[in-house]
Amino acid sequence: MKFVVPIFDIKNLSFVVKGQTILSNISLEIFCSEYIAIIGPNGGGKTTLIRMLLGLEKPTGGEVRIYGKKLSNFKEWHKIGYVPQRAAQIDSSFPATVLDIVKMGITSQRGIFGTFSKLDMQLVNDAMLKMDILELKDKMVGTLSGGQRQRVMIARALASKPEILILDEPNTGVDVASQKNFYALLRELNKKEGITIVFITHDIGVIADDIARLFTINQKATVCNNPKQALSCEEMSELYGIDAHLLHVHKHEH
Amino acid sequence: MLEMFEYDFMQRAFLAGIIIAVLASISGTFVVLKRYSLIGETLAHSALLGVAIGLVAEYNPLWSAVVFAVISAWLIEYLRSRFALYSDAVLAILLSGSLAIAIIIVSLGGAFNNSLFSYLFGSILSVSSNDIVVIGVFGAISLATLLFFSKEFYFIAYDEEVAKTSGIKVNFLNFLLVSVVAIIIALSIRVVGSLLIGALMIIPTIAALQFRVGFLKTVLISLMFSLLSVLLGMTLSFYFSLPSGATIVLCIIVIFIISLVANRR
Repeated sequence: MKFVVPIFDIKNLSFVVKGQTILSNISLEIFCSEYIAIIGPNGGGKTTLIRMLLGLEKPTGGEVRIYGKKLSNFKEWHKIGYVPQRAAQIDSSFPATVLDIVKMGITSQRGIFGTFSKLDMQLVNDAMLKMDILELKDKMVGTLSGGQRQRVMIARALASKPEILILDEPNTGVDVASQKNFYALLRELNKKEGITIVFITHDIGVIADDIARLFTINQKATVCNNPKQALSCEEMSELYGIDAHLLHVHKHEH
Repeated sequence: MLEMFEYDFMQRAFLAGIIIAVLASISGTFVVLKRYSLIGETLAHSALLGVAIGLVAEYNPLWSAVVFAVISAWLIEYLRSRFALYSDAVLAILLSGSLAIAIIIVSLGGAFNNSLFSYLFGSILSVSSNDIVVIGVFGAISLATLLFFSKEFYFIAYDEEVAKTSGIKVNFLNFLLVSVVAIIIALSIRVVGSLLIGALMIIPTIAALQFRVGFLKTVLISLMFSLLSVLLGMTLSFYFSLPSGATIVLCIIVIFIISLVANRR
């Protein structure tokens, strides 16, 4: 079997707020170098699940283990890169250059005297190079386009050389052309660098060829091991509660 | 021009003013970026409550001001992080509550005298050598803390949740920042007054933000504006017999207006 090392081990996870069940008895495993998409209707619990994986919300039942450890005992957070929802929608008045933002990614690993070493700065430069934003490093982030801002946020997540990248609908406010480049980039990070990707999206048709497994979340979780064929229109309609049609994108290689 | 430095009290006043300008502008940058601008005013009024208790109990008001400002800072941070209350509402409640209790205590204790007024409006010209030592020592510790954790404070101000997921001890650092800000305010109110210290923390940063430059340049511009307004304000107050704290604040506001006009799009 290709995937043997579990990164996230989620057992019987539940989340109830003021009597309302957001997630109910979710059990999932995420393995090293997988590319996983999470889909589901708004309010179905996708973001809550991600927030619990990252320790931002405490489950009301069940547990999450990272690399076999309880969340409270896990210290190697630099192994996880996180790009939150609406990350590209930046407060334009915040005083931050592209370099300022990407350096945040290595802040938790800085030296004892608070300075960044040459190696740290090399990691920052590598992340900007990978995202093709090195020439923008002195630009104010508030002046960039949605697609460029998205790349900056991913560069920040990549600066700590993470083993897993978690993205929560990072395409909000990004134009279609930039989205296409973005999907190609995620594919490359997964295939060439072996980075595990967990990606909340609604564009499942576009990335169906790339992903290894698909989680559908709507209070409960369903795992699809063959994403291209598993989701019939009926299943999508049931999941989203409306008439849904899955559009497959045909790639033309030249 | 330099004749004012022939007086010992002016030398001490300038030294205290420079130390407080540095501390207020650097701590103020993080406070503004965290959208916490009112915290300066609130903690200053909590410190005033400490002063009132110190005066009535005939205990050194500086230390009771530090204690009350720090307790108030912890309470603000606890309420904000634990109960997701509206931050500005928490600040408003503590601001008026502290002031009301301070006035009642002083009134009951019969100590509503010049001492309390000097903490309300500041009395930079009556700063003693002992005050300079206290401000210098605690100021140096506060500044070292701010600089050492500046990268973390900056990250938290930008995105608290992502900072947390990257392994930064966000809760501890939030409490640390408000504690340092509380200490700086308690040390400063003797010099610039509880009514004016908030302005010295916030307005230089707001003026610097008009230039739309990166973090380090924003901090340096804010520091420059803060120093300029303190030095200019004290000089003007000496030659025109104006109240020093109010003159300093008016200088900052003029600098802010110039920054706003010069950088308008």
